[in-house]
Amino acid sequence: MPGSRFWIVLKEELGRLAEILIAVLVGFVIAGILMWLGGYDPIAAYIAMFEFSFSDPYYLATTLSFAAPIMLTAITFAVGVRAGLFNIGAEGQLYMGALGAVIVASWALPGPLYLPLAIIVGSLMGAVWGLAAGLLKVYREVNEVVSTIMLNWIAFWVVEYARVYIYPNPIDASKTISMPPAGRLPILIKGTELSASLIVSLVFVGIAFYLLWYMVLGYEIRATGLNPSAARYGGINPKKAMLWAFIIGGIASGLAGVCEIAGRPPSYAITTGLSNLMGLGFDGITVSLLGANHPFGIIPAAIFIGALYSGARGMQIVTGVPLEMVKAVQGIIIIALAVPGIIRLIRSKIRRGGVKVV
Amino acid sequence: MNDIIVQMKNIVKVYPDGTVALRGVDLEVRRGEIHGLLGENGAGKTTLMKILSGLLRPTSGEIYIAGKRVHFKSASEALKHGIGMVHQHLALVPAFTAYENIILGLPSREASRKKIEKLMEETGLKVPLDALVEDLPFGVRQRIEIIKMLYRNVDILILDEPTTNLTPIETRELFHTLKELKKRGKTIIFITHKLREVLEVTDRITVLRRGRVVGRTETAKATPEMLAKMMVGREVVMKIEKKPAKPGEPVLIVKDLWVKNDLGEWAVKGLSFAVYSGEIFGIAGVEGNGQTELVEAITGLRRVEKGQVILMGKDVTNKSPGELYRLGLSHIPEDRHKLGLVLDMTVSENSILGIHRLKKFLGSLLNLKWGVIDRHARDIIERFEIVAPGTKAPARSLSGGNQQKLVVGRELSKSPRVIVAAQPTRGLDVAATEYIRKLLIKMRDEGKAVLLVSADLDEILQLSDRMAVMYEGEFMGIAKPEELTEERIGLMMGGYKMEQISSKTSPQPVESR
Ligand SMILES: Nc1ncnc2c1ncn2[C@@H]1O[C@H](COP(=O)(O)OP(=O)(O)OP(=O)(O)O)[C@@H](O)[C@H]1O
Ligand SMILES: [Mg+2]
Repeated sequence: MPGSRFWIVLKEELGRLAEILIAVLVGFVIAGILMWLGGYDPIAAYIAMFEFSFSDPYYLATTLSFAAPIMLTAITFAVGVRAGLFNIGAEGQLYMGALGAVIVASWALPGPLYLPLAIIVGSLMGAVWGLAAGLLKVYREVNEVVSTIMLNWIAFWVVEYARVYIYPNPIDASKTISMPPAGRLPILIKGTELSASLIVSLVFVGIAFYLLWYMVLGYEIRATGLNPSAARYGGINPKKAMLWAFIIGGIASGLAGVCEIAGRPPSYAITTGLSNLMGLGFDGITVSLLGANHPFGIIPAAIFIGALYSGARGMQIVTGVPLEMVKAVQGIIIIALAVPGIIRLIRSKIRRGGVKVV
Repeated sequence: MNDIIVQMKNIVKVYPDGTVALRGVDLEVRRGEIHGLLGENGAGKTTLMKILSGLLRPTSGEIYIAGKRVHFKSASEALKHGIGMVHQHLALVPAFTAYENIILGLPSREASRKKIEKLMEETGLKVPLDALVEDLPFGVRQRIEIIKMLYRNVDILILDEPTTNLTPIETRELFHTLKELKKRGKTIIFITHKLREVLEVTDRITVLRRGRVVGRTETAKATPEMLAKMMVGREVVMKIEKKPAKPGEPVLIVKDLWVKNDLGEWAVKGLSFAVYSGEIFGIAGVEGNGQTELVEAITGLRRVEKGQVILMGKDVTNKSPGELYRLGLSHIPEDRHKLGLVLDMTVSENSILGIHRLKKFLGSLLNLKWGVIDRHARDIIERFEIVAPGTKAPARSLSGGNQQKLVVGRELSKSPRVIVAAQPTRGLDVAATEYIRKLLIKMRDEGKAVLLVSADLDEILQLSDRMAVMYEGEFMGIAKPEELTEERIGLMMGGYKMEQISSKTSPQPVESR
């Protein structure tokens, strides 16, 4: 029965929940100490943060609107991890996806075609950007960490160039041309920034789950990540599996980029210095780690990080704690999260080398 | 002499996933004896000894060491009581020298090269202290483990299936060592499935089956048949019936094959042979003479530098494993942890590795039909009597022997035309060994070609219709088993060509290249 399999997978994958909750707690406590040292009242700050992220529909909508794109960029990282990769290229792939949407926005098209074409072109451009790192990894043995960082920067400058010289907005020089209204994702709650991009993200997360645990390609990707030699023995081409993981990851981030153009008021465009895109790819790494690299862990994790961002505004307004404190919370959580992971890694390395047999 | 040094009373162990591994086991070991712990795969031998050596805690039950009740919380506490275990998968750091491994974890004041050298002198356990462990053969690594334990003043030495990866000569040396240690007053607990070994080296035997003690005996009063019956719970046919082979077409042809090992040296040097449908072709030889590389080259896992592999009439040289499987190849690999299984995947997931793209497992969305797959896995579990918590348990949670059965079961369930079986019964108990050997013969009788590579000479002699002995990448000769005496095989394993031995002149070793 697929149902029972579903629960097994979920249970097995979210088994590290305790570890994650502790990391989150540690993040809050240490950041609280920092605030206290800086002369702020951490309790009041956290209360404000919570109020401004969940307390009424408007804030909740803001939280969810922040959560949507980082769910997708988290999928990029998570699929990579499942294939045994450390793909941190979501950032660049997201830029390329956004550029794809702007390119489509620049065309003269019948209204209903804008959105589907933006989605296709944007995710394809993200996929190509991911694939580039994949090809370098598979055929030239370039470590994907190095190649994706470089590709992130290349994407930044390519998109920045395109923003200034190819697609500048004739009315407002601080951004590119906007997605025409016909090509925009509908707003879900009036007066908020929450658009149907949340639905796009949730659907894609579901697809990623189905792909990884129910489809033959996902099986091959996971086998490759867990034991490449056995995968090869099993007639799987690990190189192909890795390339697919890069492609799927690229599609996810490309899609995130499209959603930022087609589904984020007020600009519906790329703004100066890519300021409205910057960091969304890297936040995906945090989200994926928090979500145990599992699609269904990623959803609450993305909402949590989204809440941090929307709550940060409240924290600043009410208690004066600078917005950047949220980054500190995030950073500390990541470090706290990494500790058990690192210990596990060392342990398994040692065990593989043969020191300890448990 | 007769006092009890280890007493385990009513030990029960339930693993966190609910598997009941031990159901009230009593074990008594006398001071200074070699005590054999015999049992089928999954009987609970490893579990019981992990409890004694402090690696696992019993769910209930009592342990007394020299009459005193103990509660071990860790392996180091057990070590303080003089109990040390050498695991089946050895626990050494490959990149360290023998010496560094021996003193690993000890405070530096307790590290004394002189003392180790003295210990080696006294026990006759010689190892090159300055060699890197990764460069040493398995038998020597095991000796390092034993020295490591002795250096920590272990009085009770537990060895978990110590002979599985040893060559016959190394096994003999190990037994010699064990007897030597016994003379020096050490108590040894020896886990094995091999009846011959347990009869040769132990003083008393405890037999486990499915988590219970089913027999205790003095070795002097035991017979192989009786032990086998206790282990399995029924009579075991020790001899395998075999009809004469009816070989048909050559379905696997190897022509002038040259293959390199990981270090870039020639491991297979121009081998040519054919395996016919309806026959078992055995390759004997001391491990490390190129058998692994040969098998990997034939099964698409290692590059063929020169020569040809022809499968079912098609040239498949350097083709991918997937393509070979589609032509009807099955491969039982010698290393189940590295190749045969993805340990962190479930039994179901492992049961389709290599056949996961078969139509019957695939839905219209290129999705895997888990219902069909789970049934397939349950089928293998039933047919091969695999002890597993279920199809959704990770393969890691199966005992070593049951993991092997899972691999064999999967490979034979593929309805193959050609089966390449490397060490197919390594680590299996008598019943499972018998079962798998019979199955290989049955496959042969159904007209399949079997290439059997095994370091177990009995296995080769028992199963093969034709056999070759491999030495340094070459065949010393191909013959029918009945044409060869054990002595002649022994000489061939040591590097004498068959012609040299038969032509009554004094044998000359082949100079190695
Ligand atoms: N970590 C674990 N979690 C769950 N079940 C386990 C675990 N380790 C072992 N088992 C189960 O406990 C039983 C006994 O296993 P054990 O490893 O002690 O067998 P064994 O006698 O050493 O077998 P073998 O000869 O195959 O090594 C088996 O059914 C096995 O599947
Ligand atoms: Mg065992």
